[in-house]
Amino acid sequence: MMTLKIALRNIFRHKARSVITLSTIVFGCVALIFIGGYFEDIFTQLRESYIRSQVGHIQIFKKGFNENGKADPYLYFLEDDQQIKAEIQAFPEVKSIAARLNFSGLISTGETTIVFLGQGLEPQYEQTVPQQETRDLRAFKKTSKSGSPVISFGQGLVEEDQRQVILGQGLAQTMGAQIGSTITLLTNTVYGSTNAMDMNVKGVFYTSAKDYDEMFLRLPLKTAQKLLNTSSVGSWVVWLNKTEDTDKVYNSLRAMIKQKNLNLELRRWEDLADFYNKTVAMFNKFYLIMRIVTGIIVVLGIFNTLNMAVMERISEIGTLMALGVRRSGVMKLFLLEGLVLGTVGGLLGVVAGMIVVSLVSSVGITMPPPPGASISWLSTPKIIPSVVTSTFVLSVVVGGFSALFPAYKASRLQITTALRYR
Amino acid sequence: MSLVQISKVSRKYQLNSISVTALKNVDLAVAAGEFLALAGPSGSGKTTLLNIMGCIDKPTTGEVLFDNTQTASLSSDQLSDLRAEKISFVFQNFNLFPVLTAVENVEYALFLKKMTADQRRKKAEAALDLMGLLHLAGHKPLEMSGGQQQRVAIARAIVREPLLILADEPTANLDHKTGEEIVDLMKASNRQNKTTFIFSTHDQKVIDRADRVVRIWDGEIVSA
Ligand SMILES: Nc1ncnc2c1ncn2[C@@H]1O[C@H](COP(=O)(O)OP(=O)(O)O)[C@@H](O)[C@H]1O
Ligand SMILES: [Mg+2]
Repeated sequence: MMTLKIALRNIFRHKARSVITLSTIVFGCVALIFIGGYFEDIFTQLRESYIRSQVGHIQIFKKGFNENGKADPYLYFLEDDQQIKAEIQAFPEVKSIAARLNFSGLISTGETTIVFLGQGLEPQYEQTVPQQETRDLRAFKKTSKSGSPVISFGQGLVEEDQRQVILGQGLAQTMGAQIGSTITLLTNTVYGSTNAMDMNVKGVFYTSAKDYDEMFLRLPLKTAQKLLNTSSVGSWVVWLNKTEDTDKVYNSLRAMIKQKNLNLELRRWEDLADFYNKTVAMFNKFYLIMRIVTGIIVVLGIFNTLNMAVMERISEIGTLMALGVRRSGVMKLFLLEGLVLGTVGGLLGVVAGMIVVSLVSSVGITMPPPPGASISWLSTPKIIPSVVTSTFVLSVVVGGFSALFPAYKASRLQITTALRYR
Repeated sequence: MSLVQISKVSRKYQLNSISVTALKNVDLAVAAGEFLALAGPSGSGKTTLLNIMGCIDKPTTGEVLFDNTQTASLSSDQLSDLRAEKISFVFQNFNLFPVLTAVENVEYALFLKKMTADQRRKKAEAALDLMGLLHLAGHKPLEMSGGQQQRVAIARAIVREPLLILADEPTANLDHKTGEEIVDLMKASNRQNKTTFIFSTHDQKVIDRADRVVRIWDGEIVSA
């Protein structure tokens, strides 16, 4: 108790110096908490946008599709079994399940003909966002639709559509296609014959992934099935209410497949999200480097303060030892001062960090489109409990660590030399 | 029987290539309960001798017997414990802890003893009272005069009830009148508690108050 009191009073003995040292720690903590929360928000949005606009949370295929389906996709089409779909839809965590049918072919306006990737889907389950809703980034972010494809011209597909198609922005540009114009889709049926169909361009969309927009078009599932002359689908896409439930639902679905002996296989979003996984790994490395750099700056700050304190208090240290305080006791005193600096700085820093994150978050940071994307977006950094605790712990540990050398130096002083020192 | 007995003690300081001999073959025995002045000019070796008797320095050659213990073989921690239990110091510059109040400074001397915070506070207040300073208990050293600070330092020394109190020029930074008061307070404590006091000085008025005077000159004891 006495030691702690002395440590505290000594820290506040030089107010200006302690304020500077504490500011270094506080600043470091704020930076770590802010960047941590900011990165986390980037991860979340990147992930959600990828899930909403492309892969869904879980995809269900016919067994073998992912291994062998590339060469001959038609062999691995899935029977669109409404009963199993209904059972999956009944899971409380599941928001919706929809069938998709991906295929490729040629698209032509009569003048231009190029390759496309088509996605037959059930429009009632696949959200698109009208252009005007994206004007207010803040409101846009709040809707659960954020991350879904945005309709930049015309309108999105609805359940009743048949001969309507929406084109990715890049694809529409290459084709020079206008809203309302007619285009022809040409593809092979599952039986190998060629089939063509005239379609009406209802809208143009973009997603967060530019290469996707340059290749893809979307059309009603029924029309796609007609074009391919099949009643099967390529896959089922499952969306959940919460991304955190992915593993839970994945395991339940696996159990269900095993129990019913279904000829199906599953893919989670993260199994398909290569770009996301790499981005997260890269940002996490940045963050680690930031932590190390911040840690070093704080170490130097505390080290400098305590080193000065030892120099100033040499005769005090001599007096302590003459009183009978052991060398280890002197060491403890200075270690404690480092720990107290780290703790006080850490507490202030964590509070300041949370305030800064909340303030910035209430305004938001408009972000340029990520590489390969076309939508700018609004980042609202989050207070991440694990980041807050680890930052605090880091501050305390660094405080103790920085004190090691000054404390050791103090404890090794010769008593008589220390007492003689002016 | 002596409380401290030093035999054939020499102390050399090595400064780069120059060697200074601060004590030469000194023999001295101090009995329990003595009130002893160590007199000598500046640089004669008083501080060095006090440090060796107070077990914060070791002789280059010779032996120190403190309370029947050979100190040469003790470890640094054992010496710390011995001092905590049996020895107190009073310094020329008072050496109070500036961040602690008067009463906390006195309490700190009891820090290493097993007692409750309450007992510590009571003992510290009693010691301050004995020095006539209870009214300044809550003041920090820098808010006090030199004489008051030295009285707090004496309270800090006596509160531990040590066998020996060593005071290195305790009056050198005080005016004569205050210095004499300080020596009188030490003497009162010596008479009352039989605590042994050894203090160094070159002030004749202070020397006159000692029961026994040991004169030191150029590292040698010239009269004991
Ligand atoms: N740490 C030291 N290093 C070198 N020389 C010292 C040291 N301490 C004392 N001396 C020398 O030893 C001699 C005695 O010093 P000291 O014991 O301090 O005398 P006094 O206390 O009587 O003034 C002096 O010549 C002094 O310069
Ligand atoms: Mg001296």
